[in-house]
Amino acid sequence: MPVDVRARRRYTAAVLGEYAAPEPTGVPEADPVVRGVVTDVSRHVLGVATSRGEERFLFEAATTFWRGGEVGVSDLRVGDDVLVRCRAGRWVAERIWAGIARVTGVIAGSSGEELEVDTGHTGGRRAVVVPYRVSGRIGVRHPVPEPGYLFDAIGVWEDGAFHASVPATTQPPFAVWDAAPPKAPAAVGGRVRGTVSWYDPAVGDPAQGDLRGAAYPALDRESDCGPECDRVRACRPLPLLSLGTTVGVRNECADRSAVLPLVDCAAVSSRFCDRCADCGGGEEGRIAQLTLASFLALGGRPETGCFAATLAVG
Amino acid sequence: MTNVLDAVRETQVLVLAAILLAGAAAKLADRSPRGQGPAVLLPIAWRRPATLGHGAAEAVVASALIGVGGAAGDAARVAAAVLFAGGVVALVVLRRTAPEAGCGCFGGLSTTPVDWRSIARSGLLAVSALAAVGVPATAAGAAMRMSAGHGAVLAVEALVIGALSPELVESARRALRREPCAVREVPLRRTLARLRASDVWRINTAAVEGMEPVDVWRQGCWRFLLFPGRRSGRAVDVVFGVPLEGRRPAVRAVIADRETGTVLSALGGPADGGTRTVGRARGGRAAQEAEGATGEPSAATGSAAAEEGDGTTAADSQVPG
Repeated sequence: MPVDVRARRRYTAAVLGEYAAPEPTGVPEADPVVRGVVTDVSRHVLGVATSRGEERFLFEAATTFWRGGEVGVSDLRVGDDVLVRCRAGRWVAERIWAGIARVTGVIAGSSGEELEVDTGHTGGRRAVVVPYRVSGRIGVRHPVPEPGYLFDAIGVWEDGAFHASVPATTQPPFAVWDAAPPKAPAAVGGRVRGTVSWYDPAVGDPAQGDLRGAAYPALDRESDCGPECDRVRACRPLPLLSLGTTVGVRNECADRSAVLPLVDCAAVSSRFCDRCADCGGGEEGRIAQLTLASFLALGGRPETGCFAATLAVG
Repeated sequence: MTNVLDAVRETQVLVLAAILLAGAAAKLADRSPRGQGPAVLLPIAWRRPATLGHGAAEAVVASALIGVGGAAGDAARVAAAVLFAGGVVALVVLRRTAPEAGCGCFGGLSTTPVDWRSIARSGLLAVSALAAVGVPATAAGAAMRMSAGHGAVLAVEALVIGALSPELVESARRALRREPCAVREVPLRRTLARLRASDVWRINTAAVEGMEPVDVWRQGCWRFLLFPGRRSGRAVDVVFGVPLEGRRPAVRAVIADRETGTVLSALGGPADGGTRTVGRARGGRAAQEAEGATGEPSAATGSAAAEEGDGTTAADSQVPG
């Protein structure tokens, strides 16, 4: 009998009450974000093939463009995977990210400008190019780019390869096996403060580009993390959960919140005890990895990679 | 006076054997990828072999102290002295190089950063091993001929070594402070055993098809198990919620129509007096309607009563997270 993880929330609510497993909610999006592929670009208008068909967005003087850094409209190309934050009811483009991508994990190999990064038991290994022009910037936050050290950078897809552009957060100058394991928490509450990052579910499956939800660093080994589970004790007191259960996520920087289903395993995030510097910093340690669509909907800026958040469970 | 000295020296063999055996067992059992003690100064690939080798050497020396006398026994005592003296040097280096690392003397139990106590303990044991050279008795022999004098020396030495052992505090801390259930890894077989020992399981066995769950998931201190079932000819999902803590867990269950997802009955949970409005509305009314339609005896009421008799209004006291 195939397992329907969506039924889990319903049954959890039936057993424990709706408070323990609330239904996923949308975010009242003042500035909706649209994802698609560029079909046409001119000085004033961008054509994008989205899930609704072909849509057109007007540029205004304040429209900004990101492609590994701040760029101009001339850097957009037909065929680019773009995110468009719009206003005025999907008519005007406020900010456009082209080809944005991210790799988070533990460095497994290095050779010249190239790194191989182990993104965990669900993501496998990814090749990362750290171009010379950005190596200084990356090196400031990743002091030792050698096997065993943590890596988290935002960049762009170039010819099918990930090219790092900016580091997400500061990583420690020691290997993961030399990190002192966090002590067991004395108590676990229903609310956990920490850092939320993002990942792009479309990397493995392009149809998942608009997926709303979160990958969680503390999935139960017996149900979802599985025998290959490579998570460690996170530095935040995260309760063990399973796919299909729902959590409340509140962006403390943007004052937005939503109830999201757990849709993936973020075992590798459990190794990150970093702090998000985007809006004054929150608690150390990652509490969830949101899908890119959910991260944007909660007001996150993907080029900074994180925001301070509170996770509510049960 | 000579007798007192002999008792002190003979007791050392016993103490050394006991400490080396405990250290060997703890090192061989340690599975930490980071490694413990001076091993953390080595490259990662060498740490585990080094820890295993150290533990094996301690086990060999301890075995020789227990059962081998004569020149071979003296060699074992010298070897013990070398091990402990080497430990002093290694711990001094470790304290300077990796001050946050534990001594690893007793594997994963020795996680307290190295301080003067661990170093003094190793030094004391090195001296005691040298003092035991030339004693004719083995550790086994000393244990069998234990006198009041031996007992007194042993008690004093246990106090001194205990005072120099941060592992005792760590052991007490671990014994007294259990990991919260929300983050504790709990084997599925233990949850299944809890479920099958419950009244809710016994009452619903007739509705369940198969002994193994088709889906299992977790929410903090609760684990849920879904079994396919059949009730009055209808295919149903029988979902059990098992608390992972407590000696007499208040197991809950819901039976839901597999096609529509409608909850037909809720047992032991919010439906019978809990504060969760959705549970009460869904389970309570749905259960009454279902039972009214089928004319079946009130299994929900029966099981709820059984649960209450089991002292299980813990529905409200055991919440996830």
